[in-house]
Amino acid sequence: MNLRDLLKPGPLPPAIQSRRRDTLLTIGACVLTAVGLWLLQAHTSGYVVHMACVGALFATLAVSYNLINGVTGQFSLEPNAFVACGAYVTALLTLSPAEKEASFILEPLIWPLSAFSIPLLPALVIAGLLTALMAFFMGFPVFRVRGDYLAIVTLGFGEVIRVVANNAQSVTNGPLGLKGIPHLTNLWWSWGLLAVCLFCIVRLVHSSYGRALKAIREDETAAEAMGINAFWHKMLAFTLSAFFEGVAGGLLAHLITTISPSLFTFFLTFNLLIIIVVGGLGSTTGAVLAAFLFTFGGEWLRVVEEPTRLLGWDIPGIPGMRMVIFSLILVGVMIFLRRGILGRHDFTWRWIIAVLGRGRTRS
Amino acid sequence: MDAAQLTQQMINGLTLGSLYALIAIGYTMVYGILRLINFAHGDVLMVGCYFAWFGAVQFGLPWWVALMGSMALTAALGVLIDQGAYRPLRRAPRISALITAIGVSFFLENLGLVVFGSRPKAFARPEIFNHIYQWGEVRVLSLSIWVPILTAVILAGLLLFIHRTRTGMAMRALSRDLVTVQLMGIDPNRIVAATFALGSALAAAGGVFWAMKYPQINPLMGVLPGLKAFVAAVLGGIGNVTGAMLGGLLLGMTEIMLVALLPELAGYRDALAFILLIAILIFRPSGIMGQELPE
Amino acid sequence: MSGLLLQATDLTVRFGGLTAVDAVRIGIPPGQLAGLIGPNGAGKTTCFNLFTGRIRPSGGKLEFAGRPIVGLRPSRINQMGMARTFQNIRLFGELSVLENVLVGFHGGLKSNFLSAILRLPGYVAQERRMHRRAGEILELVGLTRLRDEPAGSLAYGQQRLLEIARALATGPRLLLLDEPAAGMNPQETAGLASLVRRLRDELGITVLLIEHDMRFVMKLCEHLTVLDHGRVIARGTPQQVQSDPAVIQAYLGAGEPEGIDDDRATDA
Repeated sequence: MNLRDLLKPGPLPPAIQSRRRDTLLTIGACVLTAVGLWLLQAHTSGYVVHMACVGALFATLAVSYNLINGVTGQFSLEPNAFVACGAYVTALLTLSPAEKEASFILEPLIWPLSAFSIPLLPALVIAGLLTALMAFFMGFPVFRVRGDYLAIVTLGFGEVIRVVANNAQSVTNGPLGLKGIPHLTNLWWSWGLLAVCLFCIVRLVHSSYGRALKAIREDETAAEAMGINAFWHKMLAFTLSAFFEGVAGGLLAHLITTISPSLFTFFLTFNLLIIIVVGGLGSTTGAVLAAFLFTFGGEWLRVVEEPTRLLGWDIPGIPGMRMVIFSLILVGVMIFLRRGILGRHDFTWRWIIAVLGRGRTRS
Repeated sequence: MDAAQLTQQMINGLTLGSLYALIAIGYTMVYGILRLINFAHGDVLMVGCYFAWFGAVQFGLPWWVALMGSMALTAALGVLIDQGAYRPLRRAPRISALITAIGVSFFLENLGLVVFGSRPKAFARPEIFNHIYQWGEVRVLSLSIWVPILTAVILAGLLLFIHRTRTGMAMRALSRDLVTVQLMGIDPNRIVAATFALGSALAAAGGVFWAMKYPQINPLMGVLPGLKAFVAAVLGGIGNVTGAMLGGLLLGMTEIMLVALLPELAGYRDALAFILLIAILIFRPSGIMGQELPE
Repeated sequence: MSGLLLQATDLTVRFGGLTAVDAVRIGIPPGQLAGLIGPNGAGKTTCFNLFTGRIRPSGGKLEFAGRPIVGLRPSRINQMGMARTFQNIRLFGELSVLENVLVGFHGGLKSNFLSAILRLPGYVAQERRMHRRAGEILELVGLTRLRDEPAGSLAYGQQRLLEIARALATGPRLLLLDEPAAGMNPQETAGLASLVRRLRDELGITVLLIEHDMRFVMKLCEHLTVLDHGRVIARGTPQQVQSDPAVIQAYLGAGEPEGIDDDRATDA
């Protein structure tokens, strides 16, 4: 007799019962955020809007990266490769044929990419899917190893992609990169992506799949012995995070309008690593918080950089004093606050209500 | 390709391989003992080059004095990094130490950029390394002859050290188990420090020769040699000193031969190491020396 | 077809030069409460690791419910109906007691990740069933009160029970228990014995257990296999085994420290 045969529908467990209230609260929060963004769009400078876009894209990247590194516990170092893939694919799809012809001076762009362009949305979807496909094929060699070997192999893949971007001139235009990418990314695209990404990843993490991923993080041998195919679950986390990283890369390209291989070095991965480590490996809330902290904190830290005249304009990761401070923060967090600001805790409405309730009874 | 060109490329491969070997040893020794990929190793090399540059260019020291001084200072830097950043994490999960090592690596690189600036500095070759030897068609820079010879001397010394001296034997013992070392009455922390000192000094030597080869230095110069030397260490079976030497030579040779035989792929040279790494981890995870992958 | 639930034929595994398990034959009929005993280092846990696919045998055959299982992934073997507990407890320490049990159900989940993300009705229904059954299993092993505690914070005996609960969630036909009574006090041990008996009597689960507590084994098991130095030296009812000179010799002569039997030693 199989225990599973005994399974029959039962009453709603409390965790699911409270879902209607939480859904309403979440919708409310989304509406509020939308109103906030609309006000931001209407009443602040282009610069603040630009930073809000960067923040949302970094939050998306951090949440995705955290899925594989924090939730599943597979410490990998390749997001720069995925972001690059997404950025190049999207840009090549949306650039107009005329623009492409003007950019590719050394070697012409291969047909059929040279002949057409498509709107942003389908381009992003294609970019995400291609990036996920790349992750899928990478996963076979990558998940043969664990621990620090996994880190090095994924880092190696990141380097390979960068070298390819530099050399495959007839597709990527080599070191010159792509210019004149239409500035299509606005608050709605970037925050919309963040919302979709959060929706998918938070729901995945709070499902049976999320429990399986965490089980793999806690003890892979035991998870495997309990019927969880560790390889395919790692693949799931890896490809899903690659999908969102690819789409975010595409939006990043349409925000900064010029991309080249030097944007997608290990520096980019390093920034994301700081974000998820500071936020607390495994905490989605921590990843979002730390991403905005990083984006705006990085701006604030420019003060430190001014006398050294190493100002970079739009992308954090341009070398200078800020990076020295960031690396010290990373080392410091590891030594003194290993679990980051939020540990593995995550935001829940129940927790917020409990905190508010406590405040009310006190007052 | 004719025989002369082949000879020339073989010598180039040998030179490059020697440099990888010198750097790989630091990785492999630290990994053997702490199970830590010392991500900052390549950047320690870079700092070593700047020490030597200051010695030779700013203070006008003879090259070998600058080299010795750089090795000593770099050894001290290696120990400092271990004591300051890695030692507090000895009992932490290994990934924490790895993240810290990545942090230290970026710290050194960016501090280098701030202090030394991003413009490369010329690193003059000393007279002795700047001749061109010519045998018939074969033209070789004297540096390319000297580097393998000096490397061989240094490595022979290293092998003697780890097989004959008490500290060296303790290092080897420590990479197997802690208890034996403590039974020998040796403080493991001193052995770890000695390992970092030794590995960093060798990296400085490798870095200075590297700088003479290309002849310039910049704050990010350590990244690629560092990563590639790590691949060499894995090639040879990580934790295995002789393996690291062989892995270094093999990687150097393969890179040079790729460029020589398939010049149209020259741009992909920097990816070769990683493709090799991925291939090794798929087909022979224990490296060419056949030691088991530690898990 | 032998009608045996688990059948090992000439099962052998070598680590380097050491033969940890040497031509072992074990056959377990459905519904049996079987025991695997032997001195430390006899290869008992290695046998479990072989059965569950964690290590690959160097030779021999292994059949579960009439199907060969050598070379299958541990997760596949588990899904076929073989579950285990670990000698050195391996719970998911940061997950709650309830979540640990829920993880056990995941292998049998019929919905893909997209329906989990979209909370499609099929998935939600399964999630409800999982919660209900997890509650029942926790009730069965007596951990309901602790359902929201992190598994890592439980007392030793409770952790052993939770390991059993988690294994039960995978819906096993054969349950392998590796030293389930280790570290338990006499009361807990008695409770464990009655739990194991209930699993067999009420749920029809076949049980094979490794245990050093001989009173526990002799009282509970119907059939014993004795291993020493990787070989089967005796088998039969507890009474038969107890009086076997070879067994007495093995236990008296056993002075070796924990070696290959230690779970960690086979991790590498």
